[in-house]
Amino acid sequence: MTKDSKFEIVGIRRLPCTESVKQKKRKRRYRDKPIAAAAILVLIVLACLLCELVMTGDPASLDLRSCSVPPGREFLFGTDTMGRDIFSMIWYGGRISLFIGIASTLLSTVLAVILGAASGIAPARIDALMMRLTDIFLSIPSLPLVILMQAVLGQANLFSISFVLGITGWMSIARVVRSEVRRIRNSEYLIAAKCMGGGFFHILWKHLTPNFIPSIMFMVVMNVRNAIVAESTLSFMGIGLPVEEVTWGSMLSLSENALLTNAWWIILIPGSFLTVTLLCITSLGNYLRGKGNTGQSNL
Amino acid sequence: MTGIRMNKFIYFGKKLLLFLMSIVVLSVAVFFITRLAPGDPLVSYYGERAEKMGPEERAWAEEKLGLHESMPVQYVRWLTNVMRGDFGISYKYKRDVVGVIGERIGNTLLLGGIGFVLIFCLALLLGILCARHEGKLPDRVICGIGTVSSCIPEFWLSLLLVLIFAVNLKWLPSSGSYTAGGPGQWPDRARHLILPTAAVVLGHLWYYAYLIRNRILEEVRADYVLLAKAKGLGRHSILYRHCLRNVMPAYLSIMAISVPHILGGTYIIEVVFSYPGLGTLLYESARYKDYNLLMLLCMLSGIAVILSNLAVQMINERGYGNDERQ
Repeated sequence: MTKDSKFEIVGIRRLPCTESVKQKKRKRRYRDKPIAAAAILVLIVLACLLCELVMTGDPASLDLRSCSVPPGREFLFGTDTMGRDIFSMIWYGGRISLFIGIASTLLSTVLAVILGAASGIAPARIDALMMRLTDIFLSIPSLPLVILMQAVLGQANLFSISFVLGITGWMSIARVVRSEVRRIRNSEYLIAAKCMGGGFFHILWKHLTPNFIPSIMFMVVMNVRNAIVAESTLSFMGIGLPVEEVTWGSMLSLSENALLTNAWWIILIPGSFLTVTLLCITSLGNYLRGKGNTGQSNL
Repeated sequence: MTGIRMNKFIYFGKKLLLFLMSIVVLSVAVFFITRLAPGDPLVSYYGERAEKMGPEERAWAEEKLGLHESMPVQYVRWLTNVMRGDFGISYKYKRDVVGVIGERIGNTLLLGGIGFVLIFCLALLLGILCARHEGKLPDRVICGIGTVSSCIPEFWLSLLLVLIFAVNLKWLPSSGSYTAGGPGQWPDRARHLILPTAAVVLGHLWYYAYLIRNRILEEVRADYVLLAKAKGLGRHSILYRHCLRNVMPAYLSIMAISVPHILGGTYIIEVVFSYPGLGTLLYESARYKDYNLLMLLCMLSGIAVILSNLAVQMINERGYGNDERQ
């Protein structure tokens, strides 16, 4: 029996009460919340945003005398095969990687919401047509599509690659938006809003968006993650951003030379930052999706 | 009876129509996007020589390759040639495109196929294991490791594997599909396959294992499980005889959904390991504007994706082809 319970609990299966109510409450408040993930993500994002303060050197300066220097006092994370300081590049490049992730997700979400809602509100025939088109878009393998689009836009830069990733990533969100909108399209409040002369965007923003935001939130967060992965994969393969444009992916594109000289830090460090960031984003996304299986198992 | 058969006929007809439409739209999109792309296909045919050509020579070369006409005309000609089974020649290899792809497709199918089978066997095992120990230590440990592993980008995972097993431990070769100097024997090929396959499997495994785990957990909460338990069945026979059977359709449709993902992943991994498959071919042809090759490769991957999407739809709608049962 603990100090702060006033009654003695008796019975056949008396369970010893080891935790105080306060502790229990605190535990419940923090349980299943991705506190650590959020903290690490905030740290990385802040460091990337304020990279001028964090950097110890110029990420763009090529110091040919110190190529592939292992991590040490002067270069905290070593230098790459072109003699650039990896520690500075991580923060500087992270800013660009994160920007691409967020910008392309913004574009794809806006596209998805507008197209999905339009398709959901539209009469059945137009809706079917739009969904068929979405299916066809979905059926085009995304990697070749991105490579192709990138080739069309010419030399890649920050905005073109965000644009390409945004325009190839809206389909699955649009489907969810459309089915949510179809579910509520005949509600009284929507009809009332329409009768009072509300336009498409007014209804979309005031009445539809609040309804489907919870169900697409998870996909939106995952979209950020997918965009970052896609960008780094493309840059790594040499069809995304050029080596001079520092991102986590383009830093890894030097890894072929690094493998030959066994310079592990060139591969390991940017990749770990990329992975940790993705992991944090994923845990946040999983939290937003909410718990899948509640209730007692029958087995 | 005839009514049901008729409805089925209509159902499959609709699916077929959708399939053909998707392929036509895909081919038009790929065709026009590639042709609009900047870059010089002549360079990939003539190499360095293309840059030194005079305007007359260029015009002659373009006419020879059929690049001088307007794009719709080119498309129609491509389409009629395809109908006759002629997919054109690769500008880089100067050979029939089908032949070039034929050499490589076996490698990709081998890598992707082994990866696919392994992924789904292991995913089912892991899913069952996690579901049986739901919320307990094994489940939590596997979920933790799995979440981390699913966040590692494929190309970096491949790099790590090469760094560890090929560069530092020197156990396994880092690239190619056989040792240089003639096609190797099966043991040699198998050794070259280990790292790429490991990358394919590790990169995708948890995503599917988690889906299966959650699906089983959902099934375990159904009411019939309670009934079976009340009837006196043991945990094992409820799980394996009843729950898993109900999970199977979902398992099948997850398998079908996974085809495009695993295919895309295989392409990336092939490029990292410079494994001579369709992925490296696609990458090269996109870089060097090898139009005919790029076209056929995109179409092939597209058809695989469209077919698997159709399979998903048909699994999910099974039995709905005839309206009486609906």
